[in-house]
Amino acid sequence: MSIPIDWATAGPAVIVATSALVALMVDAFWPRRSWFASSLPLLAGLVGGFVELGRTGSVDDVSAALTFVILAGTVLVLVGATVMSDEDSMPPGELHLLLGSAASGALVMVAARDLVTLIVAIELLALPSIALIGLRQGDRRGIASSWTFFLTSVVSTAVTLMGVALLYGSTGTLTYAGLSRELVDPAVPDAVVAVAVVLTLVGLLFKLGAVPFHAWVPDTYRGASVVIAGFLASVSKAGALGALLVLLAIGLSPVDDVWVPVIAVVATASMTLGNLAALRERDGVGMLAWSSVAQAGFLVAPATAVLTAEGLSAPLQYLAVYALANLVGFTALAVVLRTRGSTSYDTLTGLARSEPWLGVPLAFVALTLAGFPPAVIGLVTKYVVLRPVVDDGLTWLAVVMAVNVMLGLAYYLRLVVVLVSRPADEPDGITSRPAAPTGLATAAVAVGTAALVVLSVLPGLLIDHLP
Amino acid sequence: MIVAALLVLLAATVALMAAPDRFRGRSAAGLGAAASALTFVLLALAWDGKASTSGEVDVAWIDVLNARFHLGLDGVSWPLALLTAFLTVLCCWWLARSGAGPAPSARFVALLLVVEGSSIGVFASLDLLLFFVFFELALIPMWFVIAYWGDPKDQAGRRRAATRFLLFTVTGSAVLLVGIVVVAIEAGSLQIADVQGTHSVLAASLIAIGLAVKVPIVPLHTWLPDAHGKAPTVGSVLLAGVFLKLGTYGLIRLDVQMLPSATAEIAPYLAAAGVVGIIWAGLVCLVQDDLKRLVAYSSIGHMGFVVLALATMTEAGVTGAVFGSVAHGLVTGLLFFLAGGLKDVHGTASLTALGRGLYERTRWFAVALLVAGLATMGLPGLAGFWGEYLSLRGAYEEGALDRSLAWTLLGVATIGIVLATAYVARFVRMLLQGEPTPIDTDRDLRARGVVVALVVPILVLGLWPTLLTDLLGSGVMGTSLLGVGR
Repeated sequence: MSIPIDWATAGPAVIVATSALVALMVDAFWPRRSWFASSLPLLAGLVGGFVELGRTGSVDDVSAALTFVILAGTVLVLVGATVMSDEDSMPPGELHLLLGSAASGALVMVAARDLVTLIVAIELLALPSIALIGLRQGDRRGIASSWTFFLTSVVSTAVTLMGVALLYGSTGTLTYAGLSRELVDPAVPDAVVAVAVVLTLVGLLFKLGAVPFHAWVPDTYRGASVVIAGFLASVSKAGALGALLVLLAIGLSPVDDVWVPVIAVVATASMTLGNLAALRERDGVGMLAWSSVAQAGFLVAPATAVLTAEGLSAPLQYLAVYALANLVGFTALAVVLRTRGSTSYDTLTGLARSEPWLGVPLAFVALTLAGFPPAVIGLVTKYVVLRPVVDDGLTWLAVVMAVNVMLGLAYYLRLVVVLVSRPADEPDGITSRPAAPTGLATAAVAVGTAALVVLSVLPGLLIDHLP
Repeated sequence: MIVAALLVLLAATVALMAAPDRFRGRSAAGLGAAASALTFVLLALAWDGKASTSGEVDVAWIDVLNARFHLGLDGVSWPLALLTAFLTVLCCWWLARSGAGPAPSARFVALLLVVEGSSIGVFASLDLLLFFVFFELALIPMWFVIAYWGDPKDQAGRRRAATRFLLFTVTGSAVLLVGIVVVAIEAGSLQIADVQGTHSVLAASLIAIGLAVKVPIVPLHTWLPDAHGKAPTVGSVLLAGVFLKLGTYGLIRLDVQMLPSATAEIAPYLAAAGVVGIIWAGLVCLVQDDLKRLVAYSSIGHMGFVVLALATMTEAGVTGAVFGSVAHGLVTGLLFFLAGGLKDVHGTASLTALGRGLYERTRWFAVALLVAGLATMGLPGLAGFWGEYLSLRGAYEEGALDRSLAWTLLGVATIGIVLATAYVARFVRMLLQGEPTPIDTDRDLRARGVVVALVVPILVLGLWPTLLTDLLGSGVMGTSLLGVGR
């Protein structure tokens, strides 16, 4: 039996996965265990992934763009993770192995063009993620979160598997191209297909953290190390969104009357509930966690119009900006957590005054996610995701999104205000801060913020170059 | 020219933000005034006739979205842009000279300049997305102006007022954004001049509702009195003089001029809401005790006249809307300087607490308040008159409204003028006249130059209205102002 492998599609994923294994080996057999000995192989693998992507491209432009986002996001996570490099409880070899494997899972996910590959990719992303969340030794909270994530993840994959089985049963094919051919056949039973489609989507929406499949998000983000939470919020989400978009646009395009209402309702619920919950947060990570639920709504909303010309590119553009902003935000918070011991708003008060190289990026990230000038790129991408929704005739959904922009601003602005306001009690003298290796992570924050600022002046640099 | 003007403001803002310690107190205000004055001059020089678009800049921005960095001014936007720069100069001057209220700090002045720059950007934008970016840019700075430098006695209150202001206006602009998206999809372009003539009642309504929050049109006005009550003096001036103009300008440009046929269908509702605002505000002013809130409500009344004027969509009406906007900026700006000045000196703006007989106690305040009061009730010979006159004239000509409605509204609006006379007479009697009741905080106006600088254009425009009415020509839209010919 021969298994056909499309290397142009699998190339970056294989390179990254191999480098992850190398990272583990180096860590195991190198006599002097050090953080960088195992992180450099993975970095090399990610760079190799970029090279491979540039050389061969991917299945199509959409997958290529998503691959780029995932690779770039993982590089940022890798650099950001150096804040933990002096923690004895964080084993570097395992961390880099799991990070690399999860990233390759996300890469396969966006390149998948048949349902079995999709399921395998989902597992390849999910299993390392479970371990990543609970990786810190002796951290009970992390382990609890890891269990939560494990259970929801397994259940959601099982549900998706059920949907896939039903789809296979009613159409007799597993490839997206085959599905789109077979589903137009009137002999295929409508009711079964409707159930199958919804079940298949459930698993992906779980991974995206969209309401009503969001309950794991706040718990997991708080329990995991902050950098890993950033990985889940950006790279993992990029994989899930990419797979969802491609599946809807290619495989399930004939049955759009089934999934358009589902997506529209999920988007509405995600935005509204995520924003309302975020309003109550008084902690940086918790706020970003709930905000990522709300943002999942903004990400899937344009997917209702995925069959129009802009329906595919709009969520991509939004995702690229969202992922970058979130990674900068989580990395900055990881640094704050190391130096100040907490990310509550009380701790963050006045950060833009006392440590502008962390506080100002965080404020800019908040404005980007809110979609407000001076972070023009955030506003432009909000416009971009509204356009296909209106174009598709779902003006009510556009109005819901618009109102949610307002709700979102309420808590993003609160963070900005916290960051720039004067601390209530001036710190008496210089409190001793634990020395932590925050240099590289801070540099990553600076580079990411610089990118956001440049994009705010010239949004075309991003918008014009994505498909 | 326009870009240079905006860059001047940007440079001054960056300087103030980056080195707040080098610009303390008066030097910060001085730098702000100088930058705004330079902006004013540059904008004034940009004008090249009413038949064309002045100072046009048009470069590629975001290709995929067809969004362009497209700026230009015409007879509708140029006076408003000049007004913005002029009022900001006076605000900085006031900060340097008034000697009461919060001391000017570099960051405060920087935020004022951001508000100024973004408003000029809105007036000059000829691209819808760019318009929206500038429209949003000023909101967060304004939140800080109110929440940080507002009423020093009521920290929780000023913060609440600022947040309410922000959430109301952001909801409005979110609806506006959906309207812009609808237009962009229907017309396939983001350039205001290209989009012109698209028939989309949905877009026109969304844009009108979004902007109605900003104007504000009753019943979406509830954020305004609080915001004005708690804002610092110069914050109130910019809020009334500049911010509300973003709303009326947007209604003229995006609805009346850009989507005339669709706007004609919603014009009756706009006009009626405007007139309700006139009456509502007039009645509230009759019983209002806080001078700043009184001026805020009188603002809503003036905006009612402007909305009635532009909703007629006649040439007289649109001219009246522009005139009314400019005049309101000057007159209400002056009133807010005075009301805020009194509050800064005495710590309260309550008419009863301030006491009677200001003629005797603080002569400058009294005389200036009298002039501003007369202008606000529309005394012929002062700028306030022409806006109201042209508004009623537009209603008389019916335009987009039908006769019975137009004339009914005309009649009701006239009652509003009576109410305005009554409330001005009330505060003149309660505050200026009568047996003086001196209180120990009495201190006369310091920044007299600011008051003189505002009274002069109020008089000039009152006596020589053609200065402004003659500016309106074909301009940006390539046709005259008339959307619907009747």
